[in-house]
Amino acid sequence: MELSVATAQRSDKSLIPIEDLAPTPYDEMTAADGAVRPHYAALAQRLAALGGADLAERQRTLERFFLLQGITFTVYGAESSTERIIPTDLLPRIIPSDEWARIESGLTQRLRALNMFLADIYGDQQILMDGVVPRELVLCAPSYRREMQNLYVPHQAYANVCGSDLIRQPDGAFAVLEDNLRVPSGVSYMLANREASKRTFPGTFRGAGVRSIDRYPDLLLATLKSMAADWRPNPQVVVLTPGVYNSAYYEHAYLARLMGVPLVEGRDLVVHENMVYMRTTTGLRRVDIIYRRVDDDFIDPLTFRRDSSLGVAGLFNAYRGGNVVICNAPGTGVADDKAVYAYVPEIIRYYLGEDAILPNIETYLCREPAQLSHVLANLDKLVVKAVGASGGYGMLVGPHSTQAERDAFAEVVKADPANYIAQPTINLSTAPCLIDGEIDARHVDLRPFILCGDKIVVTPGALTRVALRKGSLVVNSSQGGGSKDTWVLADAKEQRP
Amino acid sequence: MMLARVADSLYWIGRYVERAEHMCRLSDVMLNATLDRTEAATQVARIALAAVGDPDSERVSAPYEAATALVLDREDPGSIVSSLARARENARQVRDQITTETWERLNFVFLRMTSPEAHKAFAGGSSVFLHETIADLHLFRGAADATMSHGEGWRFLLLGMYLERAQLGARLLEVCFGDTHRPALSDHFALTSVLRMGCALEPYLRAYTADIQPRLILRFLLLDEDFPRSLRFSTAQIEEHLSSLTKYLAVSADVSPERLAGRLRARMQYADMHEIEAQGAGAFLATIGDECAAIHHALHEAFVAYPLELRLPA
Repeated sequence: MELSVATAQRSDKSLIPIEDLAPTPYDEMTAADGAVRPHYAALAQRLAALGGADLAERQRTLERFFLLQGITFTVYGAESSTERIIPTDLLPRIIPSDEWARIESGLTQRLRALNMFLADIYGDQQILMDGVVPRELVLCAPSYRREMQNLYVPHQAYANVCGSDLIRQPDGAFAVLEDNLRVPSGVSYMLANREASKRTFPGTFRGAGVRSIDRYPDLLLATLKSMAADWRPNPQVVVLTPGVYNSAYYEHAYLARLMGVPLVEGRDLVVHENMVYMRTTTGLRRVDIIYRRVDDDFIDPLTFRRDSSLGVAGLFNAYRGGNVVICNAPGTGVADDKAVYAYVPEIIRYYLGEDAILPNIETYLCREPAQLSHVLANLDKLVVKAVGASGGYGMLVGPHSTQAERDAFAEVVKADPANYIAQPTINLSTAPCLIDGEIDARHVDLRPFILCGDKIVVTPGALTRVALRKGSLVVNSSQGGGSKDTWVLADAKEQRP
Repeated sequence: MMLARVADSLYWIGRYVERAEHMCRLSDVMLNATLDRTEAATQVARIALAAVGDPDSERVSAPYEAATALVLDREDPGSIVSSLARARENARQVRDQITTETWERLNFVFLRMTSPEAHKAFAGGSSVFLHETIADLHLFRGAADATMSHGEGWRFLLLGMYLERAQLGARLLEVCFGDTHRPALSDHFALTSVLRMGCALEPYLRAYTADIQPRLILRFLLLDEDFPRSLRFSTAQIEEHLSSLTKYLAVSADVSPERLAGRLRARMQYADMHEIEAQGAGAFLATIGDECAAIHHALHEAFVAYPLELRLPA
């Protein structure tokens, strides 16, 4: 697993120039003929008017704002972990309304199908009986939770908060790279980036007709409340965090604050006669809905990992008893498993009878012998990922690796082929970024956030993650990635005059 | 209603912020004294170091080094930077409970104190550095007062501040006036320095004019009704915030913190300067310190570490 980390952290010089991979990548601002795309015109004009020094000054103001607000994440190192500002880029990424309409309908369709899939596999398992998805692929996945079998989940909404990673294919069309259905993070950066870009480009922002994302916290609260039982009319919602040392702690506190609900840790909760309570200054108080930002494994030492001190003993039994709601439901990870991912277009067709609006990236399953040999023969062209890992760990980016790294990784894959998938190296699209006072293109992806309770809502905005090192394709914040604000433009008809 | 852990954190933020501010003032007065006269400066340094609980007499002869360690030594859990780091760490743990304005102020003080330039700034002008830190902490209090709801959480914050203030104040007075075997503090410069340590020089002058006398200083810092750093004022605040907090308590704790706070307040309210002098100020001040400590423990028992069996829902 060390291999990929080493690969990702090599200096610019050792990277193979990106031109070797594919022709010039799709650029968000500039078309192939060099013309600025119409939806970027106003920003391009503004950038031309501002000098490099002015931009650098604005970048400093922005960083100061982030530092003062404490918008930081924790980087885990071998010996120590440190608190850092998430690198944020000044220049917004802009998405026109017609492209967004497609993303919105595509994501809605996808989450609806994935929740139906979860309800099915934790229920009658019809899709497995019909042989659409291999039975062992689902039942042997480490993220499959036997304990969830035959449990009632309101609205069949297993995944209440979803953050899907989209990338542009070479032709410019968006495709889904990954679904995050466990505890997706990053939404606070989406909101903080928006605050920052409003301060930085007030004029351009005002004129652009950017759709508002301010309602995310109250929509999240409404989604969570919609999961409550009817006989609990005024449900007590809490956000469960692993604590202040978690890398996403800032986000947990941020969401709790904006929803106006308590931010609790495992040690604040107790289970008594199958009910969940929190310890307040005036005694115990009943908890109805837990928006947990703790992984499945750690929520209840009695049901899952015994060595977890982050969770609450007896929580899962209270959940099974219908006395508390856990959002997202335990076991949703099986639907964003990297191997199950390959079957999502089939899953959509199976439940909804529709073609997927947003396509998948072509995926090779190393569990299939024929596909494995293809993968091993083409390691230098593919990205190989461990099925269970996330955050850019445990992966090999073929074109950016050395022969020695590939040889070592091939052995790892051969030892446990079912644990690996491979995808072609997609040359992510680029967007203009401010690098050392100069505007330069960097690779980006797109993570929109989708809420699902009694209805599905896609927030018209997203986290655009940026690979800040030139040529790098790794956008994860744990691997030197940054982020930038994402402007989703309103339809011209809806725009203010 | 708020989480017990959150209440505890807010309380500790209050304590650490108060402690940091008090120690900034002590360091500043101590360093200023070194600029003036040597023999009085040693006396002032001795008072300041004894008041922060540093009995090491060797450090008295090197007040600058002692102050640098007191301010910037991250290894020393009693230093100002450590207090601020803990206040900020607690604030991070209850980030959802304090307003952004309040958080920003505290985070700013912390970042300034821990920045790589802090040592240089302190060396370049310790007085300016400490003065700015105190001003920043005042901004923190102001932001809390102006933007937080004056409910339960805010009361825990203030309770921590006033308990810490009462304990530190009692300790300072004990060092200066508590020991009857020693010759009483009489040097004019040392006496004004004591007033400065208590942030009380100007209010004192307005109350008693420039007639600087040990007895009047003791009386002012102990019993003044209106001065926000006098023990009488602090203990009245402790009682007020506590009684407001205990009214939400469903069950009465065995050792109610409210009863203790009420007794302390009454003790200060009806204290008589002649009696205190007859009894010896040292004994009186020690009692106050002990009672503050007892309130601290009772508070923890009643609101934070209560036994669950007593609070199970009916």
